[in-house]
Amino acid sequence: MVTAGQGLFSLGNDMTSIIVNIVWMVLFFAVILLFNQRMQIWSYQRNAEKATARLQFLADKSREDALNSIKRFAQENVDIRSQVTGFLDFFLIEPVDRDPFGVLGRLEHILDNRRDRFKAFVSQIAPKAGKTEAANTEDILEAAMALTFIFKIVRHYLLLGKKTKSLMIFVQLDMQLPMIMKMAEAYYNAQKTFSTGKPIGDGLGALVASKLMLGQPKKQIAEDVVYAELDLSNRKVVVLKAEGPGGVVGKPGEAVKQLVENLGGKVARIFMVDAAGKLEGEKTGEVVEGIGAAIGDPGPEKFKIEDVATKFKIPVDAIICKMDIEEALTTIRKEVVEASDVIVEKIKKAILERTKEGDVVIVAGIGNTIGVGQ
Amino acid sequence: MGNSGVTAMSKQRQSKFAIISIVLALGAFALFVLATFVDPLSAYSTVLMVAGLALLIASWGIYFFGGRTAQKLEEAAENVITVIGCRSCDLREERAFTLGDYIFKELGQCKKCPGNSYIRAIYAVPLKKE
Repeated sequence: MVTAGQGLFSLGNDMTSIIVNIVWMVLFFAVILLFNQRMQIWSYQRNAEKATARLQFLADKSREDALNSIKRFAQENVDIRSQVTGFLDFFLIEPVDRDPFGVLGRLEHILDNRRDRFKAFVSQIAPKAGKTEAANTEDILEAAMALTFIFKIVRHYLLLGKKTKSLMIFVQLDMQLPMIMKMAEAYYNAQKTFSTGKPIGDGLGALVASKLMLGQPKKQIAEDVVYAELDLSNRKVVVLKAEGPGGVVGKPGEAVKQLVENLGGKVARIFMVDAAGKLEGEKTGEVVEGIGAAIGDPGPEKFKIEDVATKFKIPVDAIICKMDIEEALTTIRKEVVEASDVIVEKIKKAILERTKEGDVVIVAGIGNTIGVGQ
Repeated sequence: MGNSGVTAMSKQRQSKFAIISIVLALGAFALFVLATFVDPLSAYSTVLMVAGLALLIASWGIYFFGGRTAQKLEEAAENVITVIGCRSCDLREERAFTLGDYIFKELGQCKKCPGNSYIRAIYAVPLKKE
């Protein structure tokens, strides 16, 4: 049945077959040699276009969701759409670091300005929001801004690649797209969590601190940070966290600095608890111990803790709980809640083992305290 | 988690398009082989070639354009639980999360004793896909 035929790809030795085969080969090599790069560009461009369409969809949807969340606290007959849409392009220019002297002080100043502008904007568009709702609204806007920014950056490189017909631009964009899309989806889902005020994975440190300070009187220290004192086997333990249940992180570095200075530097140890990014293959909720300031801020808060700890020679212990970016930004998982109990016990054990009676210990629960009271 | 649900859904959709594209390309290959090696069909080689090319174009089109308009958001497949406890007894109750819940929120008198009940925990449990 199956024999050498004279069909599409002629296999005979006659002139027609030879000519047809030569034509096929010429066509094949012409396409491969002349259009190879163009075909690769088409392929990468299509991926980038699909991702950009998805990102635009997420950015638009997050803007609409943000508007719907804010409307509940806005005044009637006030159009907040144009104000919110304009605010999503709000930007921050980082301080010059060519002369690094004092760069963290300048960065902190700019971050404070940004936070003040956010608070002022939220109180302007959502005057009916209480403290908790206002803090959550700031987080909702942050997520919408992040999505808008990601969409615009990806669209920029897509259009730049099309304009210059540069394969390299498309290749670089395509290689980073999986991580970019993962981050964008995480921000989109985070916004839904923020709008309902549910606790997030990043709130692990705040949750641990709350469990330790439960039932103790709380005092305000630094911006959006509270602390409580408790006695643990004749050790004075000072626990601090951002003031919940609104979505704030506060200034824990400033709080630790003030507490240490108020105590005249007589602090035996500082324990820091935070959520940390996990590597692929690691389990969510895995608790790991180490040393150093466990805090993921842009720099100023971490610097203050390192600075004051170095000045008074205080050891800094870090306890972290592993999770990925999606888990850190969305509703806290059961494994992470269970890990918080493990961390509480670890801290109590470490205090007993590494300090002596009469010592003062600071425990700093780091992270966004949305959905976590105290 | 919800977000991973969304990502998984879109990946599933992408792989579906990829499989259809590969099947069409294999179909085109089969037609080319038939047109070339099977003698009784050599008379129809032009028709088979056109059909094969059409399949190749469809395969290419699905690979590049598939999912372009799929901009739906699959809702997060997670169940958020609020756990209620008591400061004086061993009360433990679970219910679905409601707006306004937060961890360590005071809920008034306990159902079992005169102590105060409060929200002990809130967490998400991913729903298993059917």
